Amino acid sequence: MLELYHWEPNIFFLKPLVALAEKGTPYSARYFDPTHFEQIPVNTEALLKLEREGPVLVHEGAIISSSFFLLEYIAEALPGPPLLPAEPFERYRMHAWGQMIALSLAGPVTTLGCACYLAPALRSRPAQQLQQQIAAIEPFERRAAWAALLEPDQTAAVAAARSHLGRPIARIEAALASAPWLAGAEYSIADIDAFAMLATLPELAPDLVSQDSTPHVTAFLQRMRSRPAVRAALALSRTGRPEQAFVPGPEASRWG
Amino acid sequence: MTAMVTLYHWEPNANSGKPMLALAEKGVEYESRYLDLLRFDQHQPEYLRINPDGTIPAMVHGERVLTESTPMMEYIDEAFPGPPLRPSDPRERWRMRWWMRFFDAYFAPSLSMIGWSVFIGPAVRQRDPSELRSAIERIPLESRRIAWRKALYNEFSEQELTESRRRVLFATGVLEAHLSQHSYICGEHYSLGDVNGFNLGYALPLSQPERCNDQKTPHIMEWLRKIYERPATRATWAKGRTQMAARVTMLERGAAKRDSGNA
Repeated sequence: MLELYHWEPNIFFLKPLVALAEKGTPYSARYFDPTHFEQIPVNTEALLKLEREGPVLVHEGAIISSSFFLLEYIAEALPGPPLLPAEPFERYRMHAWGQMIALSLAGPVTTLGCACYLAPALRSRPAQQLQQQIAAIEPFERRAAWAALLEPDQTAAVAAARSHLGRPIARIEAALASAPWLAGAEYSIADIDAFAMLATLPELAPDLVSQDSTPHVTAFLQRMRSRPAVRAALALSRTGRPEQAFVPGPEASRWG
Repeated sequence: MTAMVTLYHWEPNANSGKPMLALAEKGVEYESRYLDLLRFDQHQPEYLRINPDGTIPAMVHGERVLTESTPMMEYIDEAFPGPPLRPSDPRERWRMRWWMRFFDAYFAPSLSMIGWSVFIGPAVRQRDPSELRSAIERIPLESRRIAWRKALYNEFSEQELTESRRRVLFATGVLEAHLSQHSYICGEHYSLGDVNGFNLGYALPLSQPERCNDQKTPHIMEWLRKIYERPATRATWAKGRTQMAARVTMLERGAAKRDSGNA
């Protein structure tokens, strides 16, 4: 039994949808909307609920979360194309990209997307009920991430996010200038991971990701979009606007 | 014969200690290049030619340069013969990675914030202020410059430190609960998850004596002592040059008995 709890095919949720399509593995899709505070009906207590918005894969009783590690699990545990480079140094690069994307890219990307789409949508809802829903979020770290979206002025958060995006984008651009895929010669889950987090940036931050400023990232995004697995994953959207689907990402580094 | 592997590292502690201990467990000989983190050796031009980010550790294996300590450990396990340090079951591997991320991104930043405010900051502030200022200006990564500035000038707010103490208490509780059910991070098998956790936590009983001790966290204490007894751990911590690494000796079982005898 393989079940995937997911929302719209964007950011974290897009990753396992692409990987499962690449594998060609049948699974039961469980769609839920974390922006309406729907809870995943599996026990994520053991995961400290730090990843309470999902996605979560349930495979024969095992609860698998944390989107890059979830990709790695799909790659290692399921039959089909490996999605992992065969060569150890390419696999090191794949792991290093997964870490960099989680810790340096996901936060600022989701900040931009939330400020653009989720924050205005939340603020148009009845305030009292929304505040109660956010006050009930556990743990504290996730509650704080949601509460920050109620600030009417997102200017400072957006400016900080934009400045934090420069370095990870430059690194990805440089890597793709010297190899077809992020790990090197072979397509891997690092590419799925990066695509899921970068795909909306040409719209959200056109000065940072565009044909002119990042030609290799732009070509990479086009190459990814032409893959049947990516098309199949994007076609699972129920809203028709998956590129607007955002939830708050991991918190920024507490060291500044 | 020259070693195939050169490791640039500081003390067996935190990120530097991860590849040191993983290499020792695999039985891989390496050429050790010690960099004094508190003297900013990692920001000197010779080292920046190896790792332009100026972070340690860095491992050079033939032509390959690896600079991220946790992915580096997985590479060490894959690229060299020796006992496997990762479980073969994908679920257990997922668990290992989940814990390593919890250590790296949740537990370690809070613990190190406390450690730097009480230990490293005051030690480094003894130096000439203008020398320190220019040392900070040489740091290549902006995020690291901010971190060093905060540490050196004690710019942690009371609110940040309180939050760090809360997280250390919480994370210690989570780890104790896990180890009360499992001998190691991945069940009964020693893995990179334990290598990672030991580097983070070996000094917890000294740095956080009210939170981590034989009464409150007996399973963490047993886990740390078990790991300390491994020959690879002994050999790795013997490479330490400072009092920081020497703190590990408090994990001697005799040391604990002596302490409780005195109490």
